[in-house]
Amino acid sequence: MRRRDFLLAALLAPALAACSRDEDAVRVNLAKREETTLRQQPRAVTYAYLPQYAHTVSYERHRLLLDYLGRATGLTLRQIFPDTFEEHVRMVERAEIDISFSNPFAYIRMARSGARAFARIVEPSGKPDFCSHIICRRDNDALRRLEDCRGKRWMAVDPSSAGGYLYALGEFLDHGIKRRDFAEITFAPGPGGKQEKVVLSVFAGACDIGSVRDGTLDILRGKIDIAQIRVLAKSKSYPGWVYAARAGLAPEITAKVARALFALSIERPNDAAILLTAGMRGVIPATDADYDSVRALAEKLGLDAIEETE
Amino acid sequence: MIPRFSRLSFRTKINCGIVLIVGLIAIPLAYLTWRAAAESLLTETRKRGLVLSENLAMRVSDAMLSMDLLRLKNMVDELKKVDDIVYAFILDRQGNILVHSYTGGFPVELIGANAPANGAPHIRLLDTGRELIDDFAAPVVIVGTPFGTARIGLSRTKAEAAADRLALMIVFYSATAMVAALAPSTLFARRVTERINRLKAHAEEVVKGNLDPRAGPPAARACSDILACDKKLCPAYGDRDRRCWLTASPDQRGEGPESCRDCQVYNEQKGDEIQDLAETFDVMAVSLKTHLDELRRAERVLSRQEQLLRTILDATPDLVCLLDEHLAYLAVNRAFAAFLGLEPAAIVGRTDRELFPADEGEAMHDHNRLVLESARPSDREVFLRRNGSPVWLHVVRVPISDGRGRAMGLLRTARDVTQLKQFQEQLIQSQKMESLGKLAGGVAHEINTPLGVILGYAQLLQEDVPPDGQLHADLQTIEKQAKVCRKIVADLLGFSRQAESAKIEMCFNNSLMEAISLVRHAFSLDKTVVVTDLDERMPIIYGDPEKLKQVWINLLTNGRDAMDGRGGALLVRSRLFTRDQKVTAWFADTGPGIAPENQGRIFDPFFTTKPVGQGTGLGLSVSFGIIKDHGGSITVQSPAPPGFFDAMEPGDAAGPGAVFVVDLPLEHEETIGGPQPADPVEG
Repeated sequence: MRRRDFLLAALLAPALAACSRDEDAVRVNLAKREETTLRQQPRAVTYAYLPQYAHTVSYERHRLLLDYLGRATGLTLRQIFPDTFEEHVRMVERAEIDISFSNPFAYIRMARSGARAFARIVEPSGKPDFCSHIICRRDNDALRRLEDCRGKRWMAVDPSSAGGYLYALGEFLDHGIKRRDFAEITFAPGPGGKQEKVVLSVFAGACDIGSVRDGTLDILRGKIDIAQIRVLAKSKSYPGWVYAARAGLAPEITAKVARALFALSIERPNDAAILLTAGMRGVIPATDADYDSVRALAEKLGLDAIEETE
Repeated sequence: MIPRFSRLSFRTKINCGIVLIVGLIAIPLAYLTWRAAAESLLTETRKRGLVLSENLAMRVSDAMLSMDLLRLKNMVDELKKVDDIVYAFILDRQGNILVHSYTGGFPVELIGANAPANGAPHIRLLDTGRELIDDFAAPVVIVGTPFGTARIGLSRTKAEAAADRLALMIVFYSATAMVAALAPSTLFARRVTERINRLKAHAEEVVKGNLDPRAGPPAARACSDILACDKKLCPAYGDRDRRCWLTASPDQRGEGPESCRDCQVYNEQKGDEIQDLAETFDVMAVSLKTHLDELRRAERVLSRQEQLLRTILDATPDLVCLLDEHLAYLAVNRAFAAFLGLEPAAIVGRTDRELFPADEGEAMHDHNRLVLESARPSDREVFLRRNGSPVWLHVVRVPISDGRGRAMGLLRTARDVTQLKQFQEQLIQSQKMESLGKLAGGVAHEINTPLGVILGYAQLLQEDVPPDGQLHADLQTIEKQAKVCRKIVADLLGFSRQAESAKIEMCFNNSLMEAISLVRHAFSLDKTVVVTDLDERMPIIYGDPEKLKQVWINLLTNGRDAMDGRGGALLVRSRLFTRDQKVTAWFADTGPGIAPENQGRIFDPFFTTKPVGQGTGLGLSVSFGIIKDHGGSITVQSPAPPGFFDAMEPGDAAGPGAVFVVDLPLEHEETIGGPQPADPVEG
């Protein structure tokens, strides 16, 4: 009899154990509902970085710089993230972006709406100019010279990207290669991270050649085997990225920001961390005239006509 | 319960066992699988929830930076499309709802229900009253800075329902497997029980004595065919019914059955345990049958021998019996049983005390014990009286001992020696009579001379006295009585064969007729007639005519005396038997006959049934002596054989009568003119 009881208990024990729960549940009433309302953001000086990279990369690059600027200027600065170059330009035009950090082509477009350059960066290379790199796969023996690019598939960063498209396009034109000479010209799918996408497309063989601004390959060095990418040609150098204040921004704000930027020195470790994180070696004063060479290139490329047709 | 289970058929037990095994395996397995699946599903759900929430937290970074609420909304709405995701929403770093998957307001209690812990995702179980929800709160971190929280709710109830469905499915498949297992188990059980039942039927046949059926299946080929073996003397040669490793002669098997393991025949014909059992059973049956046949043959031989012994014992007139150590009868023969007037079965187990009269039984029992204790054979004669007649038995007792010399019984044989005893007595009597005869002869010879003197002087004196005087008459009486004495003396001399015998060739019939003519007239006065029936071939014998005539007269007179004056008939018959070289004479009377007890003694001297003074008892003994002297024999038969007097006139026969038969040899061969010549004499 005892043996039978034991057997029954042994059989029932797991079943009984299954009935117990090992964690407590928090009681929640889902029926109690409210419509949510977002609170109004406090007023601040808006700062935007032309979205050549993903927002998080943009945020990461300029987070320390913005913290520094806030501390140095006493202003409340907020970084905002337009999704495309075009939106960036438009937001500057609509005064939604007070301080714009953009490439020269974006600048010359914004300058038309009254934005004015007040500073430009020293590239990580140590020069205040930068160029476009025309890249291909290392094992692509059909591409040896720039002229070999005829009939090939070209992926560029964005139609308005300076280092990622326009400088390279100018270089192709200088070599007598027009846009129609390519089998196709595609642009990296948006938003953000477009420079990297071009490199990845070339690396994957999705296109024959790609154009990125110089320094991009270094960013991807840890992610892909950079040795598989070959730089086919480099364009002429043009002035680098530019800080511009929107039309109508209080000049003292611009001045505060400019001072703070100019005060940064690569020599000081704290400043160096800020500068290198932001992908620059320093910030130097700039004027609108510095970008005339870019305006000339844009004219050569017929950018205005392109913009109108797009 | 257990006895009830033991009564179930073997097939049912196997089926029960299979169901029990499948059940015992399937039920815990189903439970454990369900538990494991539930745990696994829960773990997977948690992992998935974590992945989804962390993924959401990562994907919303850009959109949160750009405050792209549409993209954020699309992201949470995409998640909501997944079946078991109850909700998804994004909080900013201040805890404000940016987007959520609900329509018609957001359940505000959800906001504080869960939060990331120390910058890591956190899971909390929520109970909405209708279902359980695992809430996953993953922090949205951009470059190490918390930007908000991504929250996802996964229905645990649905996950558990999936686990329950899985468990149900396992139970269903287990039940199906159980049912499916029953079919082969039934087939298997039927196969096994059929074979066992066949074996059982075979065993029952064996119990009934039928050893011929085979329980094992016959092989397709005999071992001799497989191995191309030509040893026809091997018991397994050509035998397909039995396996050679069980039956083959040892010289074929090598070192024994173990050596067969690698044999082609063994590997080809070896079956399972039940087949082994059946085949061993067959061999056992055959072996049993062989032994039984041998036993039956031995039994027949033994039975035959016992019958012979019994026949010998039963046929012997001796009384044979076997007694055990307690002196009770173990076995007796038919003669012994007949002696006691009982059946043999009624004697076995009883003792002499119970079977014999008190005095005899006690004595026999004591003597038996004496022999048993002394362990020495005994031999003695015992006198008993049965039905008033004396019986002499010669009893031999032989003790029987076992292998260790201990007495275990005795064998007793008894032979009826009554007749032998009588012969012994007769011999003693004859010797006594012979001595007496010789004595009487001597006395008679001595008396004869003075008697002659007495007779002579009596006759002389008669001449000296006047013939009519008294003295003359007295002398005549003396002379007469002296003559009587002389006759007596002559008879005594004749009996003792001291008389002179003068044998000549003589006619047998004439001798008879001479005697008959002498007595016929005198007999007729006593109303006794003498009838003759003589052989016409006139046989000639070599004998003493006077002595033979005396014999005839003695026999005739004896016959007449037997009729005791009442009259009757005397028949004298003679026949010649040339084949036997003898002549026989019959002297029959119609008197009262001779009592059986007297028939053996009537030829004894001085034996007479006549009153004192009428007979000397010497007539027949003298006649016996004369005939014996002639080389013949004389016997008596009483009553006379039936039909003996048929030749006489009816009515003459008055009593049973007696017949004296005298056989005399023919001393000389002769031709008497008969149709049958005499047989040649041997030698």
